Amino acid sequence: MERSDVRSLYLLGAFLACAYALPFLVGAWAGTVRADAAWLGILATVVVSGVMQGGVYAMFAVGLTLIFGVMRIINAAHGEMVMMGAYLTWVSFFYLGVDPLLSLVLTLPVAFLFGVAVQKLLLNAAVGAPELTGLLITFGLGLTMIYTVELIFTTDFRTIPYAPGTIQLTSTIAVGRNRMISFAMAVVISLAVYLFLKLARLGKAVRATALNAEVAMVCGINVRRIYLVTTGLAAALAVAGGALVSIQFGFNPETGVVYTLQAFAIVILGGRGNYVGALIGGLMLAVLENLVSLMVPNGTAMVELAAYGLMIFVLLIRPGGLMGVKEG
Amino acid sequence: MTWREHLRNLALLGACGIALGILPPALSVYLRSFVLFTMMYVVLALSWNIISGFTGYTSFGHVAFYGIGAYACAILVADYGWFWIPALGVCAAVAALVGVAIGYPVLRLKGPYFAIAMLGAAEGTRVVATVWDSLTHGGLGISLPSAETSMETYYAMLALMLLTIVVAYAVGHSRFGVRLNAIREDEGAAEALGINATLYKLAAFVLSAVFPAVAGGIQAYKVLYIDPPSVFFVQITIAMALMSMLGGKGTVIGPILGAVLLYTAQELTWVNFPTAHLIAYGLFIVLVARFMPRGLMGFAIDRSWVRKGMVH
Repeated sequence: MERSDVRSLYLLGAFLACAYALPFLVGAWAGTVRADAAWLGILATVVVSGVMQGGVYAMFAVGLTLIFGVMRIINAAHGEMVMMGAYLTWVSFFYLGVDPLLSLVLTLPVAFLFGVAVQKLLLNAAVGAPELTGLLITFGLGLTMIYTVELIFTTDFRTIPYAPGTIQLTSTIAVGRNRMISFAMAVVISLAVYLFLKLARLGKAVRATALNAEVAMVCGINVRRIYLVTTGLAAALAVAGGALVSIQFGFNPETGVVYTLQAFAIVILGGRGNYVGALIGGLMLAVLENLVSLMVPNGTAMVELAAYGLMIFVLLIRPGGLMGVKEG
Repeated sequence: MTWREHLRNLALLGACGIALGILPPALSVYLRSFVLFTMMYVVLALSWNIISGFTGYTSFGHVAFYGIGAYACAILVADYGWFWIPALGVCAAVAALVGVAIGYPVLRLKGPYFAIAMLGAAEGTRVVATVWDSLTHGGLGISLPSAETSMETYYAMLALMLLTIVVAYAVGHSRFGVRLNAIREDEGAAEALGINATLYKLAAFVLSAVFPAVAGGIQAYKVLYIDPPSVFFVQITIAMALMSMLGGKGTVIGPILGAVLLYTAQELTWVNFPTAHLIAYGLFIVLVARFMPRGLMGFAIDRSWVRKGMVH
């Protein structure tokens, strides 16, 4: 690593430390922070449930980071794919009576094919084009998806009652069962995809294309095919994320927008195209968000600011993010 | 281009201005506000085009300046009792300051990183407007004192549009514009030729921030009610980008053409198909970006209807 690279990494570390300290400082000033045992118990619960939520964030951020890494396209419709996953799970739960986790067997292939179709019809044209082309194509796709879903399901909030009740981890820390289950699923799925990228021939080809598409082509990799696989995989991950979202939060057609922005923040924090970075970034963002909503007054609006602030400052300090390559 | 051509274009613009100037009494209230909003989108698309078309830095958060302008005007008029025209000057000044504050750090980023950072900046501004209760009344929004404004705002928007067109045209045909184009094509090479890229980018950014802010101010005074979700609406940024792209970004006539066409089409579909028009709009965005990223002007250039290598 060059010296400037090391320095920006230290700066980023210092910034993140400040970012995590800020909610505590604001909380102390506003009087929401107390130092007694009960409050520390609440704090621990919030941090643990943040980690649980972070697993799900990571799920859909890795899809975005794959597309961004391999094709340099920002998929602005990613949150809508998450939303679509939530609705697919909802439909299979209420109309087919399939368990939300089992329904992944049905929805993931559909999502993969959807991603392949999107790549084939739309995104191939945006590879190598100015970034506006890809942004507008995916944004338009996202709008179409939102309003199509809205036409079918209206704007009502939907929830899936699944695994109610909580699990007592210690005497003070309790976590919802649905959160535990979705975290476990997120871990399993992201581990599987990680192993696929690390070990399988196709996964190695995906990583090679992300590093340098031209050299990959010279080595005999069919780059067009890799693009199809990448977008298909990303869509499947987004839909899996949607399924996990659907069993713990309410959703309506417009929830995807927020997820897109959160996924952007995570990808930037983790580093473009870096799979492990996206996992870490997901955990970090979710924990930070939970801290903010616990301690800062007017927390629900401020939670969004946490994601945007993180995104902008990381971009300014170190555009490559935590694990990414140096980039301007 | 020769001076004759510049004069001809200026005369053309003047004729359009006069035509739009004598039109309002003949129009219904609905049509008048339709023309006003069309002019507003011309302003927005043209100013977006200065930073993103001429300079090649795709701003995906330009609505921030529009919203800041709307808020500056609404706060001054509603809470401090200002007359609205001087308030528009404050809109421009605030937007220029914010433009420098955002632009100076963010313009160091390139390509998709700049786009994402601007998106984050715009959304962040929206959250600040929601949270900063004491200044912006938070999520409640601001109601402006009612006044008979339909004529006044019409003429204000007309004047702003003419000014924006003249400025965009002047930028496009000046050394300044050529330098911006050089930065777009190859920033490193432009710097090697002695162009102070940082300064020029910042100047283009601030210039492209000022006009949307004033447009936002006029819009606030026209609509008489603003709140964070309506004036920091992501789709306004998308509209700016899409209109420029539809007409042909990097040209002067393109964004004007795109804004008029797209806004008219949107209004017609909205009136006729209230439920399906949003789906159609999404599909339309996809189709334009997929099949004609160079826009109508690119189409015309390919068929040699207009000269190549000009800003128009």
